[in-house]
Amino acid sequence: MRIFDRQYETMPRAELEQLQLERLQALLSRLNRNVRRYREQIADVRVESLKDLARLPFTTPEDIEDSSPYGLFALPLREVIRLHSILGPKGRPLVIGHTRNDLTHWGRLVARQLVASGVTANDVIQVCLGGSLWRGASGYVLGAESIEASVIAEEPFHIDAQVAMLRDYRPTMLITTPTNALELMRTMEQCRIDPPSLNLRTLLLSRPVDAETRAQLRDSLLVAVHCNFGVDEVLDPGLCVECEEGRFHVSEDQFLVEVRDGELIVTTLAREAMPLLRYRTRIACQVGQARCPCGRTGVIIMPGGRLDRRLRVEETSFYETQVAEVLQQTRAAGHEFTFKVAERRILVSIVMTEDLFSDMMWPLENLARDVESEFYARLGIEAEVTFSSSRDPQ
Amino acid sequence: MLLQVKNLRCGYGSLEVVRGVSLHVSAGEIVGLLGANGAGKTSLLKAIVGLLPPWQGDIFINGRQTRGQPAWTSISNSVVLVPEGRKIFANMTVRENLIIGGYHNPDRRTDLEIVLDRFPRLRERLAQMAGTLSGGEQQMLALGRALMGRPRMLLMDEPSMGLAPMMVKEVFAEIREMKDMGVTVLLVEQNAAATLQIADRVYIMETGEIILEGRSADLGHNPEVKRAYLGKGYKEVWE
Repeated sequence: MRIFDRQYETMPRAELEQLQLERLQALLSRLNRNVRRYREQIADVRVESLKDLARLPFTTPEDIEDSSPYGLFALPLREVIRLHSILGPKGRPLVIGHTRNDLTHWGRLVARQLVASGVTANDVIQVCLGGSLWRGASGYVLGAESIEASVIAEEPFHIDAQVAMLRDYRPTMLITTPTNALELMRTMEQCRIDPPSLNLRTLLLSRPVDAETRAQLRDSLLVAVHCNFGVDEVLDPGLCVECEEGRFHVSEDQFLVEVRDGELIVTTLAREAMPLLRYRTRIACQVGQARCPCGRTGVIIMPGGRLDRRLRVEETSFYETQVAEVLQQTRAAGHEFTFKVAERRILVSIVMTEDLFSDMMWPLENLARDVESEFYARLGIEAEVTFSSSRDPQ
Repeated sequence: MLLQVKNLRCGYGSLEVVRGVSLHVSAGEIVGLLGANGAGKTSLLKAIVGLLPPWQGDIFINGRQTRGQPAWTSISNSVVLVPEGRKIFANMTVRENLIIGGYHNPDRRTDLEIVLDRFPRLRERLAQMAGTLSGGEQQMLALGRALMGRPRMLLMDEPSMGLAPMMVKEVFAEIREMKDMGVTVLLVEQNAAATLQIADRVYIMETGEIILEGRSADLGHNPEVKRAYLGKGYKEVWE
C-alpha cells in the first residue's frame, strides 16, 4: 500500500471522529473570535457532536464574493503569504488566502495523492496545466516538493514542445488536464511516437473523467491513469486522494464533508487564513459507504457535475451571466443572443436586428471578430459568432 | 486513544472555566496543552483525575468512562497527576516521598531502585528532607514519585514553573524520556517554546476553549501561537 501519511489517512473511524469534533470546536472558537460574519451567526451555537454540524450556517460562493477580498480572513493579512483568486458567481473574484502553515498542509495533502499514484522521491514530474490553472499547478509543485520528487518547472506553450520535453527530460509522471492529455495522445499518434520510448509511467488528470476516456488514455499512452478531484474555493488539488481502487477518499482529518440534497458541502477543519464553514460547493455528489481495501478510512465520495450555471470550455471556467457581460462590451450590446458550449469553444448566435443589418458582409464579419476577440480577452476562451434571424436554438 | 475527553464543562460556583473542551491523547504520545494564566488548563486536568467534579461531558480512560469517579481511583486507571507547584511532602525525606508514590505498588522496593537509577541526584539526597531540595530537584522528586505508581499516563501541570532555564531544559529532557519508557504524557504548560520542542501534538486553550490543535512542528509556525505565546505580536491587527 502506498500511503504518505499513515497516521491520518488510515486513522480508525472513532479516533478520526474525535479529531474532527475537536478541530470543529476549535474552528468555531476561532471563527467566533476572528471573523465578524461568522460571529454574528454562530455566537450561541454549541456543537457537542458532529451531528450538530447541521445546526450551523452555510457559507455560499456569494458570501465569499460579498466579503471579498479579505472579509472572511481569520488572521491579519500580514500572516497571509499567498493569495489566489477564483471566479465568483457574480463575475467578481473570490480571494482565497493561505498562511505558511496552510501551504505546508497543502503540500502534504497533495503528496498523499502523488504517493497513492506511485510517486517516490526518485520520480520526475512534469506539470502541464496551462496558465488558467496556475493555482492547481502550484499545489502540485508543493506536493512534489513534500516528497522531494523532481518537478519540471516549465510550461510549454505548444504541444510539440511538450512532446519534446517528454523525450528530453524523461519525466515519469505527467500531471495535466484531460483536454491536454487527449491532445498529447493524438499528437503522439500523428507523430508515430512509441509510448514505451518515453519514460512516462503515470498520468494524473486534474479532474475526473469517464471510464471510457480513462481507458483510452491508458491504452494509447500505456500509462497508469489517475484522476484528481478538488473544489477551487476549498482546495484543488488536495481535497481528496484517489486510491489504487479508483475511489476518492476525502482527507477527513482536514475536511468535513456532508451531502445535502445531492450537493457537496465542505468544512475546512485546519485552514488558518480563510477557514470555510459548511461551504456549499454547488457540485453534485454522492457518498459511498463501502470500506476500501486500500486501507484508507476517509469517506469515499463520487462527485458529479455542477449544480449552478458554471460552464467550462477547454478547462477555463466561466458563469453563464458572464457571456452577456462580455457581449455588453461590444457593439452587440443589448441584442438578444443564444449560446452553447462546444468541445473547444463557445458558439454564440446573435439575433439579427435592423441596426446590425448591412448589405455588405464585412461589417458583420468585423463585429463577429470583435466579439470573438472580446471573449478571448475577457474569459480566455475561443468563441465562434454567428448571426441568426430568431432566438430559435440552432 | 488512552484518554478521550468530550465536551467537558466544569468550573467553580457559578463560574464556568472549562467550556466544552474535547481532546484526546493516544498511547505513547506526548501531548501539550498550552494556554495563558486563567485559560482553564489546571481545572481541566483536575476534572480529568476527579479532583473537580465535571458539570457536563465525558471522560474516557482506556475506553472506560471515568467521569464522576473519585480522584483516588485514578491511580487504578494508571493515570497519575504531577501537580502544579510539585506538592511534595516537604517535611518528609526523599525516600518517604517516593515510597508514598508507590503505596499501592507491591513492587515498590524494586521500583524505587529503578527510579533512583533514573534520577541519581535523588539517590544522593535520599535521607534529606524534601523541602530542602532545590526547585529542579523537587520537580525530579515529583516526577519520580509519580513513576513509583507505575503510570501508563502522566498528567503534568506546569513542570517548568519557577525553575531556572537550565533546570527547565533538564526537566523537559526527562519528560521526553518518559515517552521512550512507554509512558504517555499530557503536559500542561505556559512555556510554549519548550513544550513545542518535545510534544508530538499540542492543543491551545484560551478562556476555557480549545482554539487550535495540531502537530507541534506546525503550530510553531501558527500566527496565533507566535503572537500569544512566542512573543511575536502586532501593533495593529490589520498590518
